Amino acid sequence: MNMSVESDFVLGTVSVSTTEYKGHDPEFWATQATKKICDISEDAPEHIKQQARAFQNQVYTVILYTIKNAIKSQNTTNANLLEKQGHEDMAKILREL
Amino acid sequence: MAITSAICTSFKQELLVGTHNFTNSSGNSFKLALYTSSATLGAGTTAYVTTGQATGTNYTAGGSALTNVTPTTSSTTAYCDFADLTFSNATVTARGCLIYNDTNSDKAVCAIDFGGDKTSTAGDFTVVFPTADASNAIIRLA
Repeated sequence: MNMSVESDFVLGTVSVSTTEYKGHDPEFWATQATKKICDISEDAPEHIKQQARAFQNQVYTVILYTIKNAIKSQNTTNANLLEKQGHEDMAKILREL
Repeated sequence: MAITSAICTSFKQELLVGTHNFTNSSGNSFKLALYTSSATLGAGTTAYVTTGQATGTNYTAGGSALTNVTPTTSSTTAYCDFADLTFSNATVTARGCLIYNDTNSDKAVCAIDFGGDKTSTAGDFTVVFPTADASNAIIRLA
């Protein structure tokens, strides 16, 4: 008896996100990171989905907070570098962001 | 002239002879190049081409390197993934992209149609890859 088993290559769907005269905001990156960490299957039972959504919200909040702190830290570092080079005006702008 | 989303036919054959290695760090280097609607890309594409490639500020011909995520399996499906790719501070318009193996003669992996022209102006142009699982990952062998 001859048997064959079907197998197939499948291409996923990518999306593109663009900005004008600015970069993506921390909320965008927090959303992307959250999706990578915790994705919810459409086939999951409703009570599992609810738990997963609650976990997603928690993860999103932590990531967003961390990204914002990282930006503040980087701005502080850059402002000090600029000040050392004599660019007090630019350092002031960075500190006020 | 059009861009049609497809896994390149040549890539399927090349996988069977061990041409492509998606392992993180120790595997091959893959790149993503952007194309305008004047490009012709699809299942029949065999390698990176310059015709129809997007041009713009902070976009370099040939595109940018992708970060591989080592392939894995879930149930009976094997899949691979890449980290999202951003062209920063870029002014560029693209209708689609080609992923190709920069290590092995620029051999094509897949062509992707964005569904419409996407434009960034002095901003981020980010290609967001789907969730890495058996139902969504960018390249799946089910």
